Amino acid sequence: MTTQLGTNTAPQKEEPPLPSDTKQVTASTKQTKFGVVHSVFFTIVIASIIVLWTITFRLIDNDFASSRLTAARSVGALALTYEAQVVRAIREIDQSLNVVKRSYEMGNEKKVLELVNEWGLLLPDFLFVTGTTDADGNVNNSTRAFKKTTIADQSYFLEQREFDHLAVSQPWQDPYTKVWKLTFSRRISTPSGAFAGIAFTSVDASYFVSGYEVAQLGQHGVLGILGTDGVFRTRRSGETIISGERADYNLLVPDSDELEEQEVQLLNNSWDQVRRYTVATKLYDFPLAVILGLSEEEQLEASTRLRQHYLQRATGANIIILILTAMLYYLSRQLQKSRQRIMDEQIAHARQVEYLAYHDGLTDLPNRSFFSHLLSHGIAEAKRYERRFALLFLDLDRFKIINDTLGHDVGDELLIEVATRLNASLRETDTVARLGGDEFVVLLPDMNDEKQLSAVARKILKAVAKPFLLSGQELRVTVSIGISAFPLDGEDEQTLVKNADIAMYHAKEGGKNNFCFYSKELSADSLERLALESSLRLALERDEFILHYQEKHDLRSGEVTGAEALLRWQHPTLGQVQPLQFLPLAEETGLIIPLGKWVIETACQQALSWLEQGLPPRCISVNLTARQFTDAHLLQDISDILQTTGLNPAHLELEITESLLLSNFDKALETLGKIKALGVRIAIDNFGTSYTLISTLEKFQFDTLKIDGSVIRDITNDPSDQQLTEAIISVGRTMALTIVAEGVETQAQADFLLASSCDQVQGFYFDTPGPALPQQTAPKRL
Amino acid sequence: MSHNKRHNTFIGIAMLTACFVVANVHSEVVVVVAANTSVSKLSKNQLSKIFLGKSRRFPDGSRAVPLNQNEGNLERDSFYQLVSGKSPSQVKAHWSKLIFTGRGQPPKEASDDAAVKYLLNNNGVNIGYIDRKAVDDSVKIVAIK
Repeated sequence: MTTQLGTNTAPQKEEPPLPSDTKQVTASTKQTKFGVVHSVFFTIVIASIIVLWTITFRLIDNDFASSRLTAARSVGALALTYEAQVVRAIREIDQSLNVVKRSYEMGNEKKVLELVNEWGLLLPDFLFVTGTTDADGNVNNSTRAFKKTTIADQSYFLEQREFDHLAVSQPWQDPYTKVWKLTFSRRISTPSGAFAGIAFTSVDASYFVSGYEVAQLGQHGVLGILGTDGVFRTRRSGETIISGERADYNLLVPDSDELEEQEVQLLNNSWDQVRRYTVATKLYDFPLAVILGLSEEEQLEASTRLRQHYLQRATGANIIILILTAMLYYLSRQLQKSRQRIMDEQIAHARQVEYLAYHDGLTDLPNRSFFSHLLSHGIAEAKRYERRFALLFLDLDRFKIINDTLGHDVGDELLIEVATRLNASLRETDTVARLGGDEFVVLLPDMNDEKQLSAVARKILKAVAKPFLLSGQELRVTVSIGISAFPLDGEDEQTLVKNADIAMYHAKEGGKNNFCFYSKELSADSLERLALESSLRLALERDEFILHYQEKHDLRSGEVTGAEALLRWQHPTLGQVQPLQFLPLAEETGLIIPLGKWVIETACQQALSWLEQGLPPRCISVNLTARQFTDAHLLQDISDILQTTGLNPAHLELEITESLLLSNFDKALETLGKIKALGVRIAIDNFGTSYTLISTLEKFQFDTLKIDGSVIRDITNDPSDQQLTEAIISVGRTMALTIVAEGVETQAQADFLLASSCDQVQGFYFDTPGPALPQQTAPKRL
Repeated sequence: MSHNKRHNTFIGIAMLTACFVVANVHSEVVVVVAANTSVSKLSKNQLSKIFLGKSRRFPDGSRAVPLNQNEGNLERDSFYQLVSGKSPSQVKAHWSKLIFTGRGQPPKEASDDAAVKYLLNNNGVNIGYIDRKAVDDSVKIVAIK
């Protein structure tokens, strides 16, 4: 897994799930909830629309039904009334005709009408024209001057010759006034029963429909009298009055013998194509039927209007519902959106917080806690699937110095660049994390073959070793890598990390810019080292350090000319710890600075002490380490010590190694010059182990030259070492240096050196290093 | 409504006046009662009601029994035109309806002015109309308001 740079907003896609993923689940549940609310909402809206229209249509239907019922009922009621009126009017006519007929038959042929009129039984003569005829049809009496003098050709006259009943004529039109008339007649018989003429009365056909009330029947109702012969005697709709029309009697008039109650039919009336609630009733005893009809359209007009009203209102309500729905929907969408936005922001914020909690702010790499999570996750997976993986622990070499000398900004830039390079040189599935400072770890899944791992480590070393261009300067940095493998080097997180760390230290000790695999031996070493490191910090406070002194002897006189101070650590549990074991540690941790100061001060005090004891002046030698030599406070510290102790600076000699000079030649030259200016002597130590140029020796104004013990050791049997020693001594002499041979252990060595004109010697042959002699220091202490 | 009626009345009067211009030579109808009758003044509306079978009493509460002239008589047409504004056919339709529906019987009829004068004094009828020229002591003219 590779962590990309600059993706601050979201967790890495391939990283294992973090606890935040539960929030997404909550979000999606909320969305579903919203969906349910919406569908319920729409169902309610649709249901209410359905209810609205159902009620509307039900109301309309009900109204129409009741209007139809009302129309049918009123048709029935009106028909009954009309029937009664017609029957009464015809009876009245019949009655009057009967009176005329009787009176005529009783012999009042000439004055029959005057007589009946006097009796008050004549029909009103301004409506009715009443008269009589003789047996031949000649009109012999009339209430009006009759235009026709004979009616013998009329069908009713012929009818009366056959039957003795009330005859109703076909409608006929007055030739002058064009008014339709009806004639009713009765047969006049002789006492013997023979036909003697008729009594008749004519009336406007419209008389029988004069009761038409628009208020009741409307403009398109119908009122009429239909003969059983299918001819309308008269018919009225509104102001239109028509006579003589034909209609289907059987269709209109139900068989009255079978019918108990009048029947209202909804018919398309054949004569004017108006659809009406129609009632037709055959009159009892007369060859006539009354017809009454109410126009459906007129009767249902109110309902039609109401229906339109209802439909309009329902449409309005529907529109309002839809508008409200749309508004509510819109509002709820807005609400949902804003909630969603807030939720998204919260989630994004939580992710951001989480991301920051799990990533290193500087390099954007996973941080220690995320790495710990990944590692434990990786261990669990590797255990379950029996996989292997390796852990690389990286530490930049000399990072502290870069940070101190070039500033933290450059240090930060360097770390970022290193992170980029690490990612670039690894597989997609590998993880790089920064544990803090200049420490990085790399998790390499499915890998623990040494060859492969070495290749990866080399790749990293190569990538880091390329020069960095930071703030306009070219920098070279190296890295030390420790490698531990799962499950070989540990089965838990802590052990794996610790062991990789240990391996890394060894890589560092092995010369840096290097990698090292963990092994059990390293661990033992490291345990000691760890113990030392922790106790080293306390050793100075606890006064566990002591100085041993190895005397320097003049070869010729054999006198003690000085002593070299050697640092010893008396560890409370480990016993005496060798300088080789703890000095690199002190150097690395920086403890060397206070420790070195203590050494110089103690040595100076010792030199004074010897003087006070009356011994001849001795030059005390103290070794300086690289770190001490580059320490900015070195000069100040030395001059402070000289001042407080009051030691003659000439009695203090500082020893430095050749290698110290080589790393920064000019700076070293400057430092040496300043030390010399204090009056302190300077010796070059371990001479002969590397190839220092003579010119170098000339540039630094040393006082003493110390030949390394390794050269002296084989001096008696190795001619090349003999020559080297002689050469060194001769060069030293030329430069007027004091020559000191170290590590002299035998008489033969001493003899050779004496022969070679060496000035002084030190070594076991003359003196075993030890603490300052008790008898020499005791009086002073007491 | 009342405005409409008045309006109709106005038109009626105008038409009647027009008629008189033509028929002035012949006649001017006046409403008459028997000489001993107390009624002396009636409105056109009251007359119209009495002669169209809608009212049977005079304003003083006494019984009104109208007497028509025969159909076709000029006086009859003029009278109805004057008091109700109805044409002869309208009057006929009115009475047709009344008679047909059984809600009334038409007044008695007299054949001419003389018959009116005679019947007013002898036959239980108490109000009629005649040509002004035919007025004499036997009858009393009723003023039309």
